[in-house]
Amino acid sequence: MSGRKETVLDLAKFVDKGVQVKLTGGRQVTGTLKGYDQLLNLVLDEAVEFIRDADDPLKTTDQTRRLGLIVCRGTAVMLVSPTDGTDEIANPFLQPEGA
Amino acid sequence: MLPLSLLKTAQGHPMLVELKNGETYNGHLVNCDTWMNIHLREVICTSKDGDRFWRMPECYIRGNTIKYLRVPDEVIDKVQEESKSRTDRKPPGVGRGRGRGGSQDGPGGRPAKGIGRGFDEGGARGQGGSRGGRGGLGGSRGAGRGRG
Repeated sequence: MSGRKETVLDLAKFVDKGVQVKLTGGRQVTGTLKGYDQLLNLVLDEAVEFIRDADDPLKTTDQTRRLGLIVCRGTAVMLVSPTDGTDEIANPFLQPEGA
Repeated sequence: MLPLSLLKTAQGHPMLVELKNGETYNGHLVNCDTWMNIHLREVICTSKDGDRFWRMPECYIRGNTIKYLRVPDEVIDKVQEESKSRTDRKPPGVGRGRGRGGSQDGPGGRPAKGIGRGFDEGGARGQGGSRGGRGGLGGSRGAGRGRG
């Protein structure tokens, strides 16, 4: 249940917090992190998957589906980030006109 | 210069990471490991098309999903300093160690083998002599049978 050495990011601080997980193949899931191991297998509670656009599977839509309690296999986990503070924003790279 | 030592040197610097799926992540590198798993802080995620953006306080990215990373130019100066100081220190020590080990093993091992062979030859001679004796006995037995 607990983390081990050799991890770049200590997931202990995310336990019982909301996390967003991207999986290989494009699925995107959020849920409450209940547990993890050194292989990055994750236990997510009340997990919600973001449904992707049927025409463009790379794009997520606002549609979701409830998955409940899930185990994410570590080898399929591409990215982990806290949901707290994660927001969609306007293009931050645009330079102001005339600059 | 090794890619991972450059990456390690880039800790604390801003960088861009593009994943195999085309998404890019701009953030400050906090930590990385030998699998190129990375931990970024103050991240801006850009979709593959470059039309949607997300801000996230931090994120963990699995190394094997990375396509490439862009690191600031100044990082290369720091990594070269480190690699230079390493090469300055290592070769003399390693060279001496290898040289001594080789010189000790070579002369020390060969005479020992030579001595061993000498003893073996002596034993073989002794056995040869005894074989000769047995042969002689066999011959006498054969002679006996022949007689019988």
